[in-house]
Amino acid sequence: MTVTIASKVESRNGSLSWRLLAREWRSGELGILLAALVLAVSVVVGVSSFVDRLQSALLSESARFLAADMVVVSRTPIPSEWIDQAEQMTLQTSLGVGFPSMAVADADNMALVSVKAVSTGYPLRGELLWSAEAYGEIVRDGAIPEQGEVWLAPRLFALLGLTVGDALMVGEATLQVGGAVRGEPDATTAVFGFGPRLLMNTLDIPATGVIQPGSRVGYRLLISGDRERVSDFEAWVSPLLGQGQRLDSVEGSQPRIGDTLDRARGFLLLAGSLAVVLAAAAITLASRRFGERHTQYVAILKSLGAQSHDISRLYGTSLGLISLAGTAAGCLLGWVLQEVFIRLLGSLLPVTPGTAGVEPVLIGAVTAMVCILFFAWPPLRRLGEASPLRVLRADIGIHDAQRPLDYVLGGLAIVALMWWYSGSVAVTLAVVAGLAVVMGLGFLAARGLLSGGRRVGGFAGSIWRVALAGLQRRGRANALQMVIFAMAIMLMLLLSVVRSSLIGQWQAQLPDDAPNHFLLNLAPEERPVLEQFFTQQGVATEALYPMTRGRIFSVNAETLPEWEEVEGEDLPRQREANFTWSDELPTGNLLVSGDWWGPDDTTSWVSLEEDFAAGIGAGVGDRLSMRIGSETFDAEVRSIRKVDWQSMRPNFFVVFPRAVLERYPGMYMTSFQLLPSQKPLLNDLVRKLPTVTVIELDIVIKEMRSVVDQVARALELVLGVILVAGALVLISGVRSSLDARLKESALMRALGARQSLVLGTLWIEFLVLGGLAGALASVGAEVAAWGLQTRVFDMNWVPTVTMWWLGPVLGAVIVGALGVWSCRRVVRVPPVQLLREV
Amino acid sequence: MITVSQLLKTVPTADGDLDILRGIDLDIEAGASAAIVGASGSGKSTLLGLLAGMDVATSGEIWLDGERLSELDENQRARLRADKVGFVFQSFQLLPALTARENVMLPLELAGAANAGQIAERYLGDVGLESRFEHYPTTLSGGEQQRVAIARAFACQPRILFADEPTGNLDTRTGERVIDLLFELNNRADTTLVLVTHDERLAQRCDKRFSMTAGELHAL
Repeated sequence: MTVTIASKVESRNGSLSWRLLAREWRSGELGILLAALVLAVSVVVGVSSFVDRLQSALLSESARFLAADMVVVSRTPIPSEWIDQAEQMTLQTSLGVGFPSMAVADADNMALVSVKAVSTGYPLRGELLWSAEAYGEIVRDGAIPEQGEVWLAPRLFALLGLTVGDALMVGEATLQVGGAVRGEPDATTAVFGFGPRLLMNTLDIPATGVIQPGSRVGYRLLISGDRERVSDFEAWVSPLLGQGQRLDSVEGSQPRIGDTLDRARGFLLLAGSLAVVLAAAAITLASRRFGERHTQYVAILKSLGAQSHDISRLYGTSLGLISLAGTAAGCLLGWVLQEVFIRLLGSLLPVTPGTAGVEPVLIGAVTAMVCILFFAWPPLRRLGEASPLRVLRADIGIHDAQRPLDYVLGGLAIVALMWWYSGSVAVTLAVVAGLAVVMGLGFLAARGLLSGGRRVGGFAGSIWRVALAGLQRRGRANALQMVIFAMAIMLMLLLSVVRSSLIGQWQAQLPDDAPNHFLLNLAPEERPVLEQFFTQQGVATEALYPMTRGRIFSVNAETLPEWEEVEGEDLPRQREANFTWSDELPTGNLLVSGDWWGPDDTTSWVSLEEDFAAGIGAGVGDRLSMRIGSETFDAEVRSIRKVDWQSMRPNFFVVFPRAVLERYPGMYMTSFQLLPSQKPLLNDLVRKLPTVTVIELDIVIKEMRSVVDQVARALELVLGVILVAGALVLISGVRSSLDARLKESALMRALGARQSLVLGTLWIEFLVLGGLAGALASVGAEVAAWGLQTRVFDMNWVPTVTMWWLGPVLGAVIVGALGVWSCRRVVRVPPVQLLREV
Repeated sequence: MITVSQLLKTVPTADGDLDILRGIDLDIEAGASAAIVGASGSGKSTLLGLLAGMDVATSGEIWLDGERLSELDENQRARLRADKVGFVFQSFQLLPALTARENVMLPLELAGAANAGQIAERYLGDVGLESRFEHYPTTLSGGEQQRVAIARAFACQPRILFADEPTGNLDTRTGERVIDLLFELNNRADTTLVLVTHDERLAQRCDKRFSMTAGELHAL
């Protein structure tokens, strides 16, 4: 037998790597790493695609509050070239005109109405609801009033004594009542219009003759279409906007909806960022295990003559291929995941999901690359350093599979990824702060408690002694495992806490008994009539606030410039506002500086809302001069208030003590709640008090509730995905220490330990690990929740007491159960077989 | 073939440096067989690791088939092993994920042999495992595993074969069979054999015998 063996190092390496790789693959070890990568990429891609689609859906859903994607609002007619330009950009357009006018049924029946004229295509987003009679069945057929026809707010029918088919005069035009307008998607954009709605066609406007130079008219050009084209149009039209012209988007025009969406987006992006961290954790655990299991393999290869670069090439090629396969499979699976998700839950989602862009896939691929480079490669690269001496002496290990520098670099890369993903420094920092606390405390706790545990164990029964000794023996590995458990649990707790507090806050903002109507222009002598009416009908109201229009024209004797003088500049200027008086701090207001006056204070104080104060450049102690009608007077700023504009209560920029303002003539306003069944009461009310203006916000509130419900549901779905991802990380974590535990347990059984001792030991080890991890997770989650709630979601932070006990208990139970379940073979399979296998 | 001069191996411990090997001198001619016996912890395995270039001495020199190990870096020593050295270990050290055939093929592949599969099968046949080519180590008995290890060691036709307690994990009868096989193949291939053992009978079959005591080597 003659064999010629030459060391043709260069030529042999390539094909050898492939052969070794093929065998590695068959052994199943690479499969574990691949599975972790696929899991990581698919979770990131799945969550981010899902979030992307939900976001675009929520955005288009909320566009219905504008009845368009964007609106050009103007006090002068919209230039026709703007409309032409929009149409050239293949955008849809529709024109709206609004103005107050008298609607006259006959000499005895007339009312001030808020006219809205709309053109074909209205609304571009959302639906216009109408009915054939005042409170009849709602029709959604996309129709608008035809030329010569008007639709009236239901209570106008009673107020004007009209029925469908009757004639009505608006200005000089006689129009026929064609139906009742029951819901306008963009009703919220005109909440402070005057009087009930009268909807007509723009084609009838010339005939009315009401629009004259100097008339108070609002023009609205509704725009909708492809998001990019809308942005292009925005860019085109913005420089052309003149005085009294502006662009409205969903966020700008409807702060409450915009705010809800912002927070929801923040949450969804947070969830995606957490998916990135979980992905990194899963990969770290899998590659550590891979590295540990391959140390002996490499030692044998080296004893047989393999060189370090053979080893590096082998694992480099393996990892490269796994990265490609894992990223591709992960992207595909992620896409399938979100598609399945959306299909399964489609019926629950009231909005039609939009399409996901390529960004989620890009994020998934980059996440995979970062995870591979910083978390998977270091343990494999160091395999090349394994000493061949291990074949002679099994106690020789390799130096730390992952060194602190790897974690630092990897950590930085993950932070960068989170930042890219969430687009928010605050979100990133809050989560990083929580994770840093977990890691810092984790390693301290691991060292302290595990070694202390040994001492405690010395006095305990044999199961505890064995278990605690086991924990200490694998101290380093346990510390890492505990920190990763803690991170996964923390992320899950954090997301649950933020979700609950967000939803809780939304619900608190729109409680079931929130006032849904505003009443303005109530004369002081009409107060008893209103109060009696409400008492008789059992309608609850907020306090009645007096309201007087006034203007602040100077601060500390220095006259402020008029609005026109400093237009476009961010400078203090004169401001006109509704003044009110109150001897008590209005409900829902918060003093930012200064203090509140006493009940019978007659000093000329004034309290300002904080943004308003900034707008006129005034602070506590400044002296303001103001004018009501023709009278001027001075007042000193006593306090600055934060006002909750989200509340459905009357809110004021400028408040005086009763004695200061009472002497000026003024009208009252209030808000109250009417149930749908009580709506006809409005007819009685306006008959009794014909001069008051009632603003109906019930439809708006209903719409807002529906958005909040949708968003809340979306958050829950995403939370579900993250919980599943977190659970998978926990499983990987348990598996990462499986070999050592199986071997020890098998040895114990071989030495005659009862099943109950082996199982008891495992239970204690995993319960202690899980409990500690849960406790750390609670601390980290609280820190991150504080950061997120105060810095990102603009909410008040309240410690989540439940989490403090739930974290450790959940941690102990989940990790304990997963751990024992994963090691169940140790009591089922004969120890000799186990010892052979491990 | 193997020459060792004033070999010293010291390792740092918490209580200061510990001398594991103290000035070893050794000379083994080509084709000869040598046994190193000694109690556990006497330094036998450390010496074997150094001879095979798997570890670096604190001082002293080793020449292996004319190559001075202290002049070679780790990769060159690995190449030397691939080209000239075979190994048989006490705990067999077969790769569990590979079949018997693939285990034997591995060093051949590392050395760049073109027909590794054929050669591996031939050697497995030589050790009586014709019917076990595709068996994985966990499905083989201890004796069979050691026979695979012997086939793997000889498959590259090494100039030198190191054996670390080759019968340590085997019962007496199986151990004897394995030893017969080892010596038969050794004679056939004219390999230089260095084995570390507790087994006096095994040591008796070697041309040279050395005793290791507390890091010092004495010819017997």
